[in-house]
Amino acid sequence: MTRYLLIIFIFLFGSKGFAQLDSIQQLKVVNLNTVKLHKHSKGYKVFALSDSVIVKNTESFTTLLRFNTPIYIKEYGAGGTSTASFRGTSAPNTAVVWNGININSINNGQTGFNALTVNLIDKINVRSGGGSIEFGSGAIGGTIHLNDQLQFGKHIENQFVSSVGSYNTYNNLYKFSFGNDAIAVKFGASYNISENDYKWLGTDGLKNENGAYDNLSFTLGFAYKLNKFSKLSLFSSKFAGNREFSGTLPNPSAAKEKYKDYNFRNLITYKYYKDEFTHVVKFAFLTQEYQYFANKNFDSFNFGNSKRYLLKYDLNYKLSSNSSIETFSELESVFGKTDEIEEKNRKQFSQSIIYTHQIQNIGSINAKVRKDFNSNYKIPLVFALGAELAPLKNTFFRLNGSKNYRVPTYNDLYWPALGNSNLIPESSLQGEFGLGYKANKIKLDVGVYYINSKDKIVWTPGGDPERPGVWTPINVAEATNKGVEFTATLNKAINRHIFNFNLNYSYTIAKDKSTNNYLTYVPKHLANGSLGYSYKRFSAFYQHLFTGKIYTTTDNLDNYTVPYYNVGNVGVNYNILKTNNNQLGIGIKVSNVFNKEYQVLPGRPMPNRNFNININYKF
Amino acid sequence: MKISKFLLSMFLLSILFVSCDDDDELELPKGDYENGIIISGEGGANGSVYYVSDDYATTESLIYKKVNNEDLGHYLQSIAFDNSNAYILVDNVNTITVVDRYTFLKKGTINTGLLNPRYMTVANGMGYATNWGSTSDATDDYVAIIDLDSYTVTSTIPVGNGPERIVTKDGKLYVSHKGAYTTNNKVTVIDIASKATLEIEVKDNPDELFFDNSGHLVVLSEGNTIYDSSWNVIGQTQSAISKINTSTNNIDEEIVFPEGLNPTLLVTHGTNMYYNLGSKIFKLGNSDSSLPSTEFINTEAAYLYGMEVNDESLFILDASFSQESKLDIYNLATKEKTISAAAPISASKIYFN
Repeated sequence: MTRYLLIIFIFLFGSKGFAQLDSIQQLKVVNLNTVKLHKHSKGYKVFALSDSVIVKNTESFTTLLRFNTPIYIKEYGAGGTSTASFRGTSAPNTAVVWNGININSINNGQTGFNALTVNLIDKINVRSGGGSIEFGSGAIGGTIHLNDQLQFGKHIENQFVSSVGSYNTYNNLYKFSFGNDAIAVKFGASYNISENDYKWLGTDGLKNENGAYDNLSFTLGFAYKLNKFSKLSLFSSKFAGNREFSGTLPNPSAAKEKYKDYNFRNLITYKYYKDEFTHVVKFAFLTQEYQYFANKNFDSFNFGNSKRYLLKYDLNYKLSSNSSIETFSELESVFGKTDEIEEKNRKQFSQSIIYTHQIQNIGSINAKVRKDFNSNYKIPLVFALGAELAPLKNTFFRLNGSKNYRVPTYNDLYWPALGNSNLIPESSLQGEFGLGYKANKIKLDVGVYYINSKDKIVWTPGGDPERPGVWTPINVAEATNKGVEFTATLNKAINRHIFNFNLNYSYTIAKDKSTNNYLTYVPKHLANGSLGYSYKRFSAFYQHLFTGKIYTTTDNLDNYTVPYYNVGNVGVNYNILKTNNNQLGIGIKVSNVFNKEYQVLPGRPMPNRNFNININYKF
Repeated sequence: MKISKFLLSMFLLSILFVSCDDDDELELPKGDYENGIIISGEGGANGSVYYVSDDYATTESLIYKKVNNEDLGHYLQSIAFDNSNAYILVDNVNTITVVDRYTFLKKGTINTGLLNPRYMTVANGMGYATNWGSTSDATDDYVAIIDLDSYTVTSTIPVGNGPERIVTKDGKLYVSHKGAYTTNNKVTVIDIASKATLEIEVKDNPDELFFDNSGHLVVLSEGNTIYDSSWNVIGQTQSAISKINTSTNNIDEEIVFPEGLNPTLLVTHGTNMYYNLGSKIFKLGNSDSSLPSTEFINTEAAYLYGMEVNDESLFILDASFSQESKLDIYNLATKEKTISAAAPISASKIYFN
């Protein structure tokens, strides 16, 4: 709390003291994690969502990812529980990484994409492919990176974004950033609230009852250059969310569930760099808590919480002007409990080494290896190799292969009467090959991948042969996922008319090896794209999503599928003010513009056509 | 044999149709689903109902969805019947969907006044449905009284925690209290006219409830799982088949299972009862006072979740929760499996229509 008071003080002081400093200088962006991600992603495809895209999609993290990345998101009604699947892998096979730290829940191994807001995040990167070496458990299908950004150099900036939409939806955020040669500071606050009681199309007047949500989040960043060689930085973020879980067909009024999430994340980093060496010491403290109310009208709830302490030491040695070797040592201690699981502690030490080499005019490679020592189970040695080769102008090849893992969760291991303490981590081997073309106005990339996963943890009523009918988790399934991914970005300017076009398409074949049936909840075809146009102060966009049919039963019966759907959003923006120091934009967005009836999951209709008006003021 | 008999009757029927169009005595088919087996499944996202023809030759999946072009919601707990209707109870959406029992055409919906409805019975034209109430409250459980002309809940009778099965006889309702998410050990007797209730104590977690051929009210108590302080399973309380005399409301006889043997299903037909231990089926004469030592049929079902019996056959449901389940039919005389057919996801109940 004192930290927040301090930053509010800095903000007040800052706005009075430095408001006149309007000379915008060349700002030095500090975003170590984004830089590092790119450095370590040779041969991988990395999507970048900038803050301008993020603040345009403040309604939910789910919507942001669904329309802008090749990730399939299972959402239990708009605003409900939401999990991600990369390349047909399961929800715990997607790692969410905050400033370099994997933040998937200890209890269920996943991140709920409606249980955090990213409005205040400066940069989101989405990397397809395994990443257990850098990000640990669960980085199998892909990783989603939430990175804070700080800027040194004299500047002061305020941004206020506010929107009002259908179903009494209000999204507000405020961001402040200040810097000089030695100090960089940022602060942000966001508050979102919605009744979320949208009409269920195709029904006789039913509504999305019990779907309301509200959440409040704060973020803080601070960096200080101690001297020419060293820097101290600190990031902190706090989130508190309330959600109701909406009902299902045919009677949404039966829904009474409520959920509360709290998370608090802190990271302090000290960096020393001189000559060929860079040393980084990090300490992180993260807490997560949920409370589940089976009936919102009662005070009783189930809960789970976790505390994590991480100590990291990174050493980067520059072998030559075009090669480096880095070591990452990490010590982690996790405490997790629920109302039914006594507090358990898990300790882990991991050591990884990454070698990077660049060959001028030809390309670059990464070679990585990691070993974990865990107090609960054996984790396999994992390794990865990535390469990007550009032998011809504008054309490049990319290649990567890796072994990755996902450890059993606390629920898997310790769930009262059901958990299985004999579980071992899931592991997967994967490879990818891609071909791309990159020029000024056009970027194309097509890739193929193959993932073989084994010892997958599955909850099944036959898990324990001694107790038929009792659901227990076992290591059983072996799956193969293969597919093709295509991405295109085109920009075109005709006089002052600027057009841009983005397309992501993925074709996914994910099968259970023992039955050769398709995995459930994996669309074979998934495509999204956007078309943007701008002219002077005016801009407009259209975004579209196509999600193919999914099977919901393991025997792939046609009677139990969720049909494909198309949904489109359209928006216009106008900048009323546009100077170097002041920008004021107003925008209107129409989601589900064709008023299409669709379901992401059976029995849960998604929102009808809805409207949103927003203002974005930067000063 | 059964099939040939059926074919013969079909043949005769067709002759009748062709030859004597104006025969007043001819009974017209009441619907596609007359004469056959109705199987309900709790469902994943949606509960569903399958139909198996009388000759077991054809299975029709998702008959409610097929006829009405909509889903039932989850989880389909049970179906109750009267002469013309079937009442489909879906607990999580607090809904009873009323359909014609032979055509499965929807006739109405009851979705106010219900809270986790479980089972229903019909007496004198009124419906009586057990409701768990809110699972956060063990004291709000009730039996809903339903007007079957207007499909509305007209009043309620408060009962103890976790009411499950409900049967009726001679102006009385009998309710077993399995205890919802916790445990209970009561059978409630309700006088329909006065709504007066009284409780009979049985062994833990009574579920199956029916009248046997001697008129006794038979109840199967499954026993309650016992945990230690860190939630490890350390045992289960004893199961029992209790026979209640409905004129005295006393337990005339109680067959207690040895510790560690906990049946979950019990059905009766004629002079016998059939119960399960895991995937094995045991046969017990209605007048037997001790348990059989060997099984009647070893079904080898991965998860035996439903059972029914008629003159010739024993029907079991081998349930899957992630794909279609299986209906396996065993000949009672030969004990051989004769038919295996598809059944709904998480198939749990079998009804003869």
